[in-house]
Amino acid sequence: MANEEKDLRGLAGRIYDLDEEVYRELGSSLGRVFNGKREDCIEETVRMMQERNEAHILRNELALISNMARTIPEQESKRRIMAKYDEILKAVTELPASFIKGDILDTKIAQLNTLNLQSRFSDSDHLIICIGRTYGCGGSEIGFTLADTLKINYYDVEIFDEVLKRLEAEKSTVHDKGGYPYKKGGRDNRQYLNEIPAFAPAPKSTLKEKLREFNRYHGLPKKDAVFFNQSDLLCDMAKKEDFVVMGRCADAILTNNRIPHISIFITAPLEQRIHRVMEVRKVENEKKARHLLTRLDKAHIKYYKYYTGRNWGKARNYDLCINSASYGIQGSVDLIMRMISQEK
Amino acid sequence: MLKKCIAYSVSLLAILALNSLTVFAAQETAAKPIPVWMCIPFAGLLFCIAVLPLVKAEWWESHQALAVAGWSLLFILPFGFLFGAGAALETVLECLVNDYLTFIVLLFGLFCVAGNITMEGDLAGSPRVNIILLTIGTLLSSWIGTTGASMLMVRPVIKMNAWRRNRSHILVFFIFLVSNIGGCLTPIGDPPLLMGFSRGVPFFWSLHLFPIMLFNMVVLLFVFYWIDRKRYCRDMARGRKPDISKPGTKIQLRGLHNLIFLAMIVAAVVLSGILPDQPMFQDAEGNVRGIHIFGEVVLSFPAIIEILIILLAAFLSFRTTDPVIRKKNHFTWGAIQEVGTLFIGIFITMQPALAILKGMGADLGITEPYQMFWTTGVLSSFLDNTPTYLVFLTTAGAIGFTDGLATTLGMVPVKVLTAISCGAVFMGANTYIGNAPNFMVKAIADENGIHMPSFFRYIGWSLTVLVPVFLLDTFIFFR
Repeated sequence: MANEEKDLRGLAGRIYDLDEEVYRELGSSLGRVFNGKREDCIEETVRMMQERNEAHILRNELALISNMARTIPEQESKRRIMAKYDEILKAVTELPASFIKGDILDTKIAQLNTLNLQSRFSDSDHLIICIGRTYGCGGSEIGFTLADTLKINYYDVEIFDEVLKRLEAEKSTVHDKGGYPYKKGGRDNRQYLNEIPAFAPAPKSTLKEKLREFNRYHGLPKKDAVFFNQSDLLCDMAKKEDFVVMGRCADAILTNNRIPHISIFITAPLEQRIHRVMEVRKVENEKKARHLLTRLDKAHIKYYKYYTGRNWGKARNYDLCINSASYGIQGSVDLIMRMISQEK
Repeated sequence: MLKKCIAYSVSLLAILALNSLTVFAAQETAAKPIPVWMCIPFAGLLFCIAVLPLVKAEWWESHQALAVAGWSLLFILPFGFLFGAGAALETVLECLVNDYLTFIVLLFGLFCVAGNITMEGDLAGSPRVNIILLTIGTLLSSWIGTTGASMLMVRPVIKMNAWRRNRSHILVFFIFLVSNIGGCLTPIGDPPLLMGFSRGVPFFWSLHLFPIMLFNMVVLLFVFYWIDRKRYCRDMARGRKPDISKPGTKIQLRGLHNLIFLAMIVAAVVLSGILPDQPMFQDAEGNVRGIHIFGEVVLSFPAIIEILIILLAAFLSFRTTDPVIRKKNHFTWGAIQEVGTLFIGIFITMQPALAILKGMGADLGITEPYQMFWTTGVLSSFLDNTPTYLVFLTTAGAIGFTDGLATTLGMVPVKVLTAISCGAVFMGANTYIGNAPNFMVKAIADENGIHMPSFFRYIGWSLTVLVPVFLLDTFIFFR
């Protein structure tokens, strides 16, 4: 099984390299067949080879590479590349094209039991804990206390601030859609930096400002440009240090980039959250607090779905889901610590 | 309205069925009937174009010319047997010299010139950027031709969306809008309108089609936005992201001097519509003067002038542009070669179908705008839209309307002319072979790592997206 996967991975790597070589020989700037990261593309190609009902897609992609290869002007390079292509095509054609009894459709799912936390992190990997949470469940405090206990960095709105620096954008023009509203004067200033309501409607801008933004964000919607930059930043950070990161679809971003991490979702019953919001934010009216929470939940569900295609808070997407009302802040931190100590 | 439509469809089918065996062609075959079975080579070639890339892709790629030659001979030989070798030669030469030659030279010229203009920059393909690009392309089509706009815009669209995995739909909508619908506003936009211009339709009359074009553009862009947004989100969810590491967008256009050569080509096309009516290009009998080839086949002087200007523009474009630009554009001859090969076969083998259509046009009993729209449109989806337009313009002119626009073919009501023009231009988008730029866009996309839909899947897109829009057109504009 392991050997077979290694062979498939090797073949997928050859396909990716061939595409890269063809593109380099052509000197084109119009894009190539495998336009993602090497590891991602290889992973996807291996999956296509394993899920035999998708083998035709792989053959189509190979055909696209050959289309490009045939247009290489230099005859010697063309011959060399076409010879490589023929070899790869032969190997791909020899792959089984249909299911036989005992085949497993998705080996990754089948291996789920062995893909536990103990084997997830290698020695060179950093400990990254992604915490998703509903507003008013004490998730931020749990995350902060956890980072404090582990003596690692805690990131929330700091990521957003860094992204703004990268984009050379003013804070007043961009909203932190990936975070939650905070208020100043909280327990720790690092935790309470963001004064702008996260999902407030964007302020109206003039045509000139719109054009400037269009140019600044490469024609992308502001929130998408922020998201892409957040993704880059998180991946860069993950190579350098251990940290706890709150929200921002970090779990999905790291999964897509094959960076090992622990994903946790924290929530609490609505009544408890209302109670906490009224206490922390000094909202006197219960109806207002309920309305605020409903609005924030809806906006967060939409945000998470838009960028990850996943359902926010769905247990299967996380390593651990906690009802903070059952354990309290310290109890939740202890629970997470117990899980981490088993893993590390 | 619905009952009328059903009745019309049934009657059309009945007429075609009753005329199933033989139909009298109007032109050179005089009173001799052209059997319907002579359309088999055309159907066979279409079948090959549709099916062989799916089942025998490699063979098809290297044997296209053979298939084209085979199906062409399957038409020419029986035709020669029935009508004589001279008539067969004359028919083939007529279509090659008068239709195919100017068609392929125009495509070649635009392909060369547009391939020498490149856009460098880091604008990221997103639904918003794509909407802007498609809108620019659509509006440009009427002023530099659907082929010109397609060739000019297709590479920037491919380049900006290079980071995405799901992108074939962008090119499908590109074909719908830029390669077809956008070309309805002037005779430069699409050849059928140029044919109308040379038959007395005023140059700027087609601007009347602007509300219809705008309606179609808005509806299609709306549909496109939601499809593109969904696929864009899917790409993001899979972790794809554009390179926007540097703040600010830098866009640089290189080879812009080629716009002069593009203007030369557009001028050549306009001249080809104007010159035949000038007395110095006509003989005493009012026929357009030119070089006699064979029988009644003449390569007219206006056509020669058009060809020479276009070839000169292409030559100058190549001489004056840095080859690096072509390399960046991944400029190859593959796309034009494929279109040139396939369309020579399409042009030859569709002759019986066109002759039958010419013979039957008046018998179809088509008088209403919606009938004109759909009949011209459906036939333009598979046949060359220029002769199809001409057949129905002639039919409309011969009906004897007393009110409308005076053309050299007779009085044609504005609504009917609108329907014929829209049908011929819009419905070229229904299939890959409906309009030449469709196939060019497909070929260029195929060469640049985009997995374009097969012939049938593309028709599926047309049926689910375009046909409902055309039905709306029928109810709003052509009742």
